[in-house]
Amino acid sequence: MDAQTTSVLNRIIRRIPNKNIEDLLKKWNCLSADQLRALDYTRPKWVIVEHVISFCEENRLNMKHITNLEMIYHIENPDRGTWHACQLAEAQDDAVCVELTQFKEQFKAHLHGVIRHISIKLKKHEDEAIWIRIAWGDNFNKPNHLKPTYVVHHLHTSYVFISNLTAKHKIYLCQALVIATKHGSIKDGHLSTKSLTAMRDLLLRRYQQVFPNAHSRILQDRNTVSSHPCIGKEHGDHEEMRRQMSCEAFGLGPSPKLETAVYRLETRYRGTGDHSLGDREEFFRGVVRFSSSGLLDSLRHCVASGIAEGPVTPLLSAITQRGRNYFVITDKGPGVSSQASAQTAPSQQTL
Amino acid sequence: MDSFMETMEQGVLGHLMALERGGMGRQKQHDSQRSETLKARAVTLRAKRDQLKHHTDVVKTLKDKIVKGLPLRDEDAAADGFVELQKSLLTAWRMQLKDLQRAHHLIGGYDLVECKDGKSACVSFHTAFEGVRLETYSVELDLTRAVQISRHNVPPSFPLESLAKRTLQKDLKAFLQTLSQNLNALAARRRQVCLLKELVGSVEVMESNQLCSVLVLMCTAQSEAPKAVLCTLEYGDLAQCLPTRVSIECEDKVLSGSPQWKKNQSLLLESPAHTALLTMRRMGSIS
Repeated sequence: MDAQTTSVLNRIIRRIPNKNIEDLLKKWNCLSADQLRALDYTRPKWVIVEHVISFCEENRLNMKHITNLEMIYHIENPDRGTWHACQLAEAQDDAVCVELTQFKEQFKAHLHGVIRHISIKLKKHEDEAIWIRIAWGDNFNKPNHLKPTYVVHHLHTSYVFISNLTAKHKIYLCQALVIATKHGSIKDGHLSTKSLTAMRDLLLRRYQQVFPNAHSRILQDRNTVSSHPCIGKEHGDHEEMRRQMSCEAFGLGPSPKLETAVYRLETRYRGTGDHSLGDREEFFRGVVRFSSSGLLDSLRHCVASGIAEGPVTPLLSAITQRGRNYFVITDKGPGVSSQASAQTAPSQQTL
Repeated sequence: MDSFMETMEQGVLGHLMALERGGMGRQKQHDSQRSETLKARAVTLRAKRDQLKHHTDVVKTLKDKIVKGLPLRDEDAAADGFVELQKSLLTAWRMQLKDLQRAHHLIGGYDLVECKDGKSACVSFHTAFEGVRLETYSVELDLTRAVQISRHNVPPSFPLESLAKRTLQKDLKAFLQTLSQNLNALAARRRQVCLLKELVGSVEVMESNQLCSVLVLMCTAQSEAPKAVLCTLEYGDLAQCLPTRVSIECEDKVLSGSPQWKKNQSLLLESPAHTALLTMRRMGSIS
């Protein structure tokens, strides 16, 4: 095993807590049962790493196997690193008929065609997600396995989730995705999170949405504490209405665990106090950032409890409705109203 | 004094009886008053009932006439005048539309609800297969400038955008019809895969996808040496719950070309997947 392979393996094992290493190695299925038994997970990490490296050398494993291990690790722990969402647009008529093998072939063929040295690994997970690991090289250098890009795509959907992509390689990846999925273009989704699960839940709508309908307007909360029959709620109707409003905007039950929402202001100052600020031609730039361990749950609670007045402002409901957490607010027209406009993120932002 | 002496003579019981007699007298008075007021009330209520009955009869006849498409005449409004006729007409129309809406809901059509004071409408599509009600999908349409989809809970792999681009602006009814058909077909295909896994445990699902546009099954053919047979069902038309193409593959070419398996192939084309496989198992083709 060469130096790069060893350092990749080293890095993987170092990241995992000792108790999880055994499961990962079992799933990997490259070490024999004897070797697995011989590993003592109570020893210090560097000892375990050394043993694993020596076993791998014994079994003559190479970079292919190690990258497989890294992929398994990432698939099992998707909530590491920073993920960004991109959206495919202009689907061609036969985009719905694209099959897995077709996608794989086209994707690999395109990238191999534009970059001489590149290592691509595709894996389909049981939940219909295609995981792609790309180690980029160029025409002269071998692929760099220490900084791979990970891409997750669910076939037939228009969303692609990307982690660890540099601006230099962005164009190649985007081209390959567009060709392999038979779409016309791809654009930035303006959504970035630390948790891939949260991003997938939000965009693939894996949370319960609420729609107004004629039959069950009242959402019964199963866990309401049964109150005394002599106690009546004065504002029961208002509470119900707020609850309905909050659930329509942010969903019912556990919502995707988004952590931040960022609003960049490019508006003119409109306060009544300091007139010198208001007279200026240039924008009063500011950034409003909401942070929480469960942003959507908090916003829902704000609306349901009456802290935030309803109806829910479209700036907040756009988080779930349009599936993004980065907005640029500009002035449009003479009115005071500011709208969220879909501008592209600054070019120096690396994906 | 005398009356006092009298009562003293009669004793406590007598006193009590006298009090009772007094109370009864007052009660009777109270009763008669009450019965008179009640009688008067009954008369007014009866008069009101007759008036309402007359009103509803007018509205009903109007509604029947609207349903049958007969021309309306002034006599229908009786002597109440044109304004009353308008009111009754509106009520009749409203009743008829509500009946239609309810009927549409009962036959499994889609429900339309107005929200945000007419700025948007929410359409709910109920799906069902083989008499079992499945998921309900909702689409909220924004009606302010042009009809646009603002949010929905249709699965993301469903080509909703392309469908909307084709028909939404031109013909809303056709769009809703096509969407309902496609969603019902999708729910039906999904349900077939579920039922397959539940009822026919011996068949393995090798490949399927979110849209259920392709289904690859591995069955074990019953013969002297059980052989694996791969059935590929392709659903070319996403508005249908039956496949457009079925191909049978087996290592043993004789088996896959046999008349029994040709029949199985047509069975898979003509009936839902789980029914076909159950029949095949019953006939002894597969284990």
